Amino acid sequence: MAYSDKVIDHYENPRNVGALDKGDDTVGTGLVGAPACGDVMRLQIKVTDEGVIEDAKFKTFGCGSAIASSSLATEWLKGKSLDQAEAIKNTQIVEELNLPPVKIHCSVLAEDAIKSAIEDYRRKQAARRAAREPKAEAGSEPQPAAGVLHDR
Amino acid sequence: MDPFSVLGIPPRLSLDLGEIEKRYRDLSRALHPDKFVGRPASERRMALSKAIEVNEAWRTLKDPVKRAEALMRRAGVPVGETKEGAADPALLMEMMEQREALSEARAARDKAALDRLVASMREREQRVIATLASRFDAPDGSADDAKAALPALGELRYVRRFLEEASAAEDELGEAG
Repeated sequence: MAYSDKVIDHYENPRNVGALDKGDDTVGTGLVGAPACGDVMRLQIKVTDEGVIEDAKFKTFGCGSAIASSSLATEWLKGKSLDQAEAIKNTQIVEELNLPPVKIHCSVLAEDAIKSAIEDYRRKQAARRAAREPKAEAGSEPQPAAGVLHDR
Repeated sequence: MDPFSVLGIPPRLSLDLGEIEKRYRDLSRALHPDKFVGRPASERRMALSKAIEVNEAWRTLKDPVKRAEALMRRAGVPVGETKEGAADPALLMEMMEQREALSEARAARDKAALDRLVASMREREQRVIATLASRFDAPDGSADDAKAALPALGELRYVRRFLEEASAAEDELGEAG
């Protein structure tokens, strides 16, 4: 099958290949795969306190279209807010890379990877907030519970 | 066309590939255009299209992934890009690690590390094929059994992809050594 020039460009010169620290609270990691073709894709974002994606990296083992889709995704992610990033659609990737119908699933994989990286980041942030404010919650919540006990 | 019926063999995952190859060669010989010189055009066309089917069937059956896919189709279980559901996250994590380790061994030209990775993946390949065979080759196998084998088929594809890249890496290191 003939790849478009843009796919070949991303395949030969992939942007932002690599890894960010998975243990970092400001990093979200998405790991997705297509068992029907044996592809695996990791996409990571690093987010500032203001909620802007300052860095994005990917590593994909798969076909040229899967590599190009994730490479393009990291390019698009940098500088975007999480909400803007979440709005990226696989159809935009298909259009930009001229993917043929049989390769549309590669762009779907990239969209899934973006969403799952954002989700991972939000989960970590929620966990961090919960860990930072245990006293406030522990102090206020047991009281009504105790009150219920007294009522009985 | 179902490759098992084209070659006239029982639909199983565990097969004697040597025997099937012989069957494929016998059929190809019998269908060779030389045998149809002077025959009517319709007969020649028929032999040619049959020969193409036989080729395709052999290509499918000699590859364990394609063979398993053919068995899925026989059982009425759809296979392919968007039909198989999501991958198991633990499998993805493991495969990502293994592929990265392979890339590192390849970049570092570390033959010993490469051999270790390949040996353990080959073992895994045998295990997964045995799992698939236990699903497909049971005498009273059903469509549910085939469906239950989908995750193992996915795993086998990952394993085969790994081994393909590993074999390219082995060639590369072998040429240099």
